[in-house]
Amino acid sequence: MPGLLAMVDAAGLLEIVGQPFMQRALLGGLLTGALGGLLGSFAVLRQLSFFSDALGHSALLGISLGILLGVNPTLVLIPFAVVFALLVNQLVARSGLPADALLNIVYSTSLAFAVVALSLVEAYRGGIQQLLFGDILGISWSDLTVIAVLLLGALLYLALSLRAQVLLTLNSDLAGAFGVGANRHRLIFIVLLAVVVAVSIKAVGVLLISAFVVIPACGGRLVSRHFPLYALASATLGGGCALLGLLGSGLTNLPSGPCVVIVQFLGFLAALLVSQLSPRSGVLASATAVASRSKPSGAREAG
Amino acid sequence: MTDNAPVLSVDGLSVRRGEQLAVEQVSFQLARETDTALVGPNGAGKSSLVAALLGLLPRASGNVEILGHALGPAGELPRSVRAQIAYLPQSLALQGRFPLTVGEFVGFGFDQPGLSLAWLGNKRRTKAMLRALERTGCQDLEDRRLSELSGGQLKRVLLAFCVVRPRQLLVLDEAQAGLDAPSSEQFQELLLDLRRQEGWTVLQVSHDLEMVRRSCDQVLCLNRRLRCSGAPDHALSPARLAELYGPNVVPYRHNHAGIAGHG
Repeated sequence: MPGLLAMVDAAGLLEIVGQPFMQRALLGGLLTGALGGLLGSFAVLRQLSFFSDALGHSALLGISLGILLGVNPTLVLIPFAVVFALLVNQLVARSGLPADALLNIVYSTSLAFAVVALSLVEAYRGGIQQLLFGDILGISWSDLTVIAVLLLGALLYLALSLRAQVLLTLNSDLAGAFGVGANRHRLIFIVLLAVVVAVSIKAVGVLLISAFVVIPACGGRLVSRHFPLYALASATLGGGCALLGLLGSGLTNLPSGPCVVIVQFLGFLAALLVSQLSPRSGVLASATAVASRSKPSGAREAG
Repeated sequence: MTDNAPVLSVDGLSVRRGEQLAVEQVSFQLARETDTALVGPNGAGKSSLVAALLGLLPRASGNVEILGHALGPAGELPRSVRAQIAYLPQSLALQGRFPLTVGEFVGFGFDQPGLSLAWLGNKRRTKAMLRALERTGCQDLEDRRLSELSGGQLKRVLLAFCVVRPRQLLVLDEAQAGLDAPSSEQFQELLLDLRRQEGWTVLQVSHDLEMVRRSCDQVLCLNRRLRCSGAPDHALSPARLAELYGPNVVPYRHNHAGIAGHG
């Protein structure tokens, strides 16, 4: 531990941040973290967090297909994720089986095929850890451009459809009566989530991808009462924790994905602490709610 | 559309749920500013009928016109017509710590349907939201999370969502489900007050036959087909009820009635 701490000094930090590859990695982490947090804030409410997990695991199949075909895996990953998301969506809609069970079947099978495929490729055996846990240091300017465009697109779509997303989450009939196209919005959101998962895999790897989507959103939810603030808090937690995690990874030479997820978990704990201390969103608010529920429901003031 | 034209006109409507027809050849009209109850046993097709009227379920056959505009095959309606419809569901899927306040939710009802920045600050929306909360007795709830409300409070907030902008047609799907008798009574009183003030035409699915008898102008008795319709005294006669619910079922006659097995 003393050795570890010795590495974490200001000079070391400046040296690491001064490296162009590290600057790209930090920017990539910030953007993908914010993107994951933003999309996650909606995905968690719409109970699609397991979808992102399954998609992440299945992405390994897309990567291995790319390797087998001799194509850059990153180029294969986004279309693979979109097609996978659309197929799963259809499967869930048509089979009538519970979504979590279906996702489990699909992602375990994809993972099995992916591992078999990768075992056939001698040259890639050494890179499996990077796929599983992320290698954001290898992020390029073109990757960053894709992520930035995606973040802007997601921001625009979610800003315009926030009301529709919330109403769909609360009651799909209420949303439909209000003119919200439930299928259309679900499809757009799932495709967006699939693309975000695909581009985030470089940063955090296939095993930990769901953390990028779920942890910041749950942290944001603990400290926010208002929906726009919730989405903002989730994106900030996602981006901020990714930045800190990558700095920690660079300083300690530990894998980037796990470092980011550990910092996200610490951020979640901090949010939990704040929510317990804050009278507006934590224990006291819950107590107020319980007190109001215990009033006679016949009284108009109490409902 | 003239003042005498029906707000909702249904002609020969059939709705399929899976392989079976849940609703078959139903026709009726809702006159302006009337309160109509849709009653029938569980599985009679009430919710399917309502879903088809709102364009949420495809029709197997038949036509629906709302405010003089035909409902399209996939539930299409002009946005201006859609904006005139309010729907009040049985419940909302509120998870713990749902990050949405009562004020935000009610404000969402103000803007026209479609994509919008309904979450951004807007003086007109805020004013309308506060007025709607006041009219439904929810002014103290503005900053509360939706997930912190009691059942009765939530129903009143849903009414505030409906009243935040002028509308013509209000559809309620067992809106009083889950409420105790006094809360149900108060909800119905509030609904009646708002209906008179707003000039709403109301269609409500209900199992509370005594409330229907007291409050509604017209009753539609559904059991896949429309078994009878008309004024409550006519449609809810013992003979009609026996036909609809079976011979062993009679309505309660005391204050907060429903239906019950008898004998």
